[in-house]
Amino acid sequence: MTVCFRYLTALLFVATSVLSSPARAADPQQVLTQWYRLVLELVRHTPTYSPPVAARSFGYIGVTVWEVTASGIPGLHSLSGQLNAFSPAPARADAPYDEAVVLNAALTDAMADFFGNTGPTGQRAMQAMARKQREGAVEGVPPDIVARSEAYGRAVAAHVQGWSAGDGGAVVENMGFPDSYVPGEGPAHWVPTSAIRQQQAPLLPGWGNNRPMAMPDGSSCPLPPPPDYSEDPASQFYREAREVLDVTASLTDAQKLIARFWSDDPMLSPTPPGHWISLTSEILERDRADIATRAEILARLGIAISDAFIGCWDAKFQYDLVRPVTYIRRVIDPGFEPLLITPPFPEYPSGHSTQSGAAAAVLTDFFGQNFAFTDSTHADDGMPPRDFPSFDAAAEEAALSRLYGGIHFRTAIERGLDQGRCIGAYVTALKMKDT
Amino acid sequence: MRRAFVFLLAAGMAGPVAAGEALAAADPTFAEETVSSGLRHSFTGEWEFMVGGGVASFDCNTDGRTDLLLAGGTAPSAFFVNQSPLGGALVFSQQPSGLEMDAVSGAYPLDIDSDGIMDVVLLRVGENKVMRGLGDCTFAEANADWGFDGGDAWSTAFAATWEKGSSWPTLAIGNYIDRREEAFPWGSCTDNWLHRGGASGFAAPLAMTPSFCALSMLFTDWNRSGTPALRVSNDREYYKGGQEQLWHMDPGQPPRLFTPEEGWARLRIWGMGIASRDITGDGLPDYFLTSMADSKFQTLPEGPAKPAYADIAWSKGLTAHRPYMGEDKRPSTGWHAQFEDVNNDGLADLFVAKGNVWEMPDFAQADPNNLLIQQQDGSFAEAGGTAGVASPEHAARGAALADFNIDGLIDLVVVNRNGPAQIWRNTTTGAGHRAQLRLSQDGPNPDAIGAWIEVRQGETVQRRENFVGGGHGSGQAGWVHFGLGASPEADVRIIWPDGTTGPWQPVAEGFTRIIKGQDPIRWTPPPLATIP
Repeated sequence: MTVCFRYLTALLFVATSVLSSPARAADPQQVLTQWYRLVLELVRHTPTYSPPVAARSFGYIGVTVWEVTASGIPGLHSLSGQLNAFSPAPARADAPYDEAVVLNAALTDAMADFFGNTGPTGQRAMQAMARKQREGAVEGVPPDIVARSEAYGRAVAAHVQGWSAGDGGAVVENMGFPDSYVPGEGPAHWVPTSAIRQQQAPLLPGWGNNRPMAMPDGSSCPLPPPPDYSEDPASQFYREAREVLDVTASLTDAQKLIARFWSDDPMLSPTPPGHWISLTSEILERDRADIATRAEILARLGIAISDAFIGCWDAKFQYDLVRPVTYIRRVIDPGFEPLLITPPFPEYPSGHSTQSGAAAAVLTDFFGQNFAFTDSTHADDGMPPRDFPSFDAAAEEAALSRLYGGIHFRTAIERGLDQGRCIGAYVTALKMKDT
Repeated sequence: MRRAFVFLLAAGMAGPVAAGEALAAADPTFAEETVSSGLRHSFTGEWEFMVGGGVASFDCNTDGRTDLLLAGGTAPSAFFVNQSPLGGALVFSQQPSGLEMDAVSGAYPLDIDSDGIMDVVLLRVGENKVMRGLGDCTFAEANADWGFDGGDAWSTAFAATWEKGSSWPTLAIGNYIDRREEAFPWGSCTDNWLHRGGASGFAAPLAMTPSFCALSMLFTDWNRSGTPALRVSNDREYYKGGQEQLWHMDPGQPPRLFTPEEGWARLRIWGMGIASRDITGDGLPDYFLTSMADSKFQTLPEGPAKPAYADIAWSKGLTAHRPYMGEDKRPSTGWHAQFEDVNNDGLADLFVAKGNVWEMPDFAQADPNNLLIQQQDGSFAEAGGTAGVASPEHAARGAALADFNIDGLIDLVVVNRNGPAQIWRNTTTGAGHRAQLRLSQDGPNPDAIGAWIEVRQGETVQRRENFVGGGHGSGQAGWVHFGLGASPEADVRIIWPDGTTGPWQPVAEGFTRIIKGQDPIRWTPPPLATIP
């Protein structure tokens, strides 16, 4: 296992600080851990949080966390001026702050904004979390520092919220499904794949036009066209469809498990971007990472997956490709039943592949090559944890799971990973601390 | 607008066909009589009462009229005795009954001790109660006397059956979230309970693990095997690793889930209510499941060999996925659902109570109730707005469709959350004929829960199961209604809960009591009961 020097340094720092720090009811790490645990639940239980919408929230919440954290630690750099249209956040006064109080105030307001449309249980949970975290954070902290810290945290949260409002993704209506949609003409184009009335138009067809955070625009990581549509058995298109049919017809138990492990269905899981947040959080807890480490990687990962869905959606609606279930039933086997539910939007490229490629690029850059970890994201749903030798291995498995699930052709998987790596490179280039 | 029906009487036709001769199916109309009826009540509460809000409809004083118990949430439940004159305006009088209790989320009538007097099961946030009917619309708690452990949970679903060989009913109670979980309630679904009958009461409840936050349950003979199974509709908002469920309920054996190997396919919805009736005419019960956005309508295209359900909601016009009127086009939220023939054309219609959970901005706030009228081709068309029962300004939960003024037309009561309950009189003109039947048998299970009722006109047979359960927090007992279309006559056959198939017996327009082993008995409404 190759661990990045900077990650190793962070771990050594946290080990010594844990030994020397006095006990306290709440520290910034605990505040962050608990709120991110809640974020993952709210993503799952807020109906509008399809993967692109979820990724956007992970991005902005990550930036919020980073800005309040970086401003309190010498040598860490704001992302203002590095992210598109992100101006400098409010500055701190020359006075003491409590970092746990700052962070809790910032997250309390950021969550209320980015999950303002969650249901009554989510609202109740956010209120309970804010109350409990505050009780722990303010314990023993002088009132003037509490007031100053909370005001600052809220100001940064408001600044990020104001920035987010103009990105094109702030308002999502009808859970992301337009009232009407004119499908592309011809058999190569996407058509609805379910009998759900709400899903007769594709999810968020304009999402690729949103303003990304790190990459210049939605088309900054373009893809070549998918294989030419053809019903000729000798064509690549047909052969890839045939592969989907053959693979899904002879799935091993291990392949079925992989398909379901990465299925990450909206409203039934933390979604694909939440899956990567979850496994990263598990690593950070395992290694007892310090707040700077946590804030940096959660920000980078959030930005990467948010941009990944913008780039992926840009390509999806550029090529508007038919799904395997539609093609196979029409051309090869009318009785084809994929293992997974086919998502309601065009096929090329694979969204899970793109965002997994981006996530792996960022995590590998941060933690190192061949960084082994355990992923327990779906333990609560009864799925056993999986061990991975590296982030790339996890991303490749996530991508391949879409072939096992019968919802993507191979080209969409492979090029999705390529696109994700391209998007990830914009994020790894962000300068977040002194070298 | 009136639609001309040309009834198809071709022998062996499998699809739904309206009964009788040619009839111009009447467009249903309802008149709201909430204020004038005296039905004044609200189901109130916040988080712990965001679901629930049921109504039990049954006859408590043997005058043939359907009386009402409305859940109150944080307010006491309220009992209303029906004093509606025959065919006239609806009149209800609130009366002390012993059922007035706080924290009630749902209510179901059931003659638990088979004494001929209706009892009531109260679902509560807290200890559930079984309430023994004392006669004259009074009740007393019987938890201790009947060995019923009411537990301490957030109870939200109910179903009852008499398992073969048991003199006491089996009660299934569905429970929701662990209400003490604040920040992380998801995945905290508490166990559902199965209360089986013993020698003279209930045995200790059996935990039905796994449980996935049930909001509706129904004992139903899904494959007409003679042994009902337990269908459970679960709220995916809160479970982890969950799905809709169907339990084998073999007498004397622990319940066990149907498996994928047996044909049960995983379905994960915001399950909130179950309505059931044989709509497709294949002799098997079909199931309408309320949810958020698209509802489901499940049939068995491959027959009863395995529970491999297909969703045909869209092709039937039953998705009910978003408001059909007003400016609010966000997705809908469905709760109680019930099939009844509101225009007596011989084709069962569907009512769906609608309403936002609680300030959920992704879903419609102005969410009109659905009244989906079955057409001759088996599809359904929306009539909630034209019929006058839409009520988009309220957040509906439970409901009951029953003939409150015994004029042969199905009326409607709806419980709204944090708003007044509403009641409508069916004022449809030009409706068809109808038969209203009430089953009874000697011994345990006097109301023949679990029987199948078949009504035949020519080659057309309507079928429905006589059940207690389903819906959303709301149970009905009493007259079972069938529209007869243009002809006032039909033959009726009962498949009794013990599997005995009764003879085809002629019935005519009006009310008929069907007593096992006897000829049908015509019933005429007596004068209004004198209420003490």
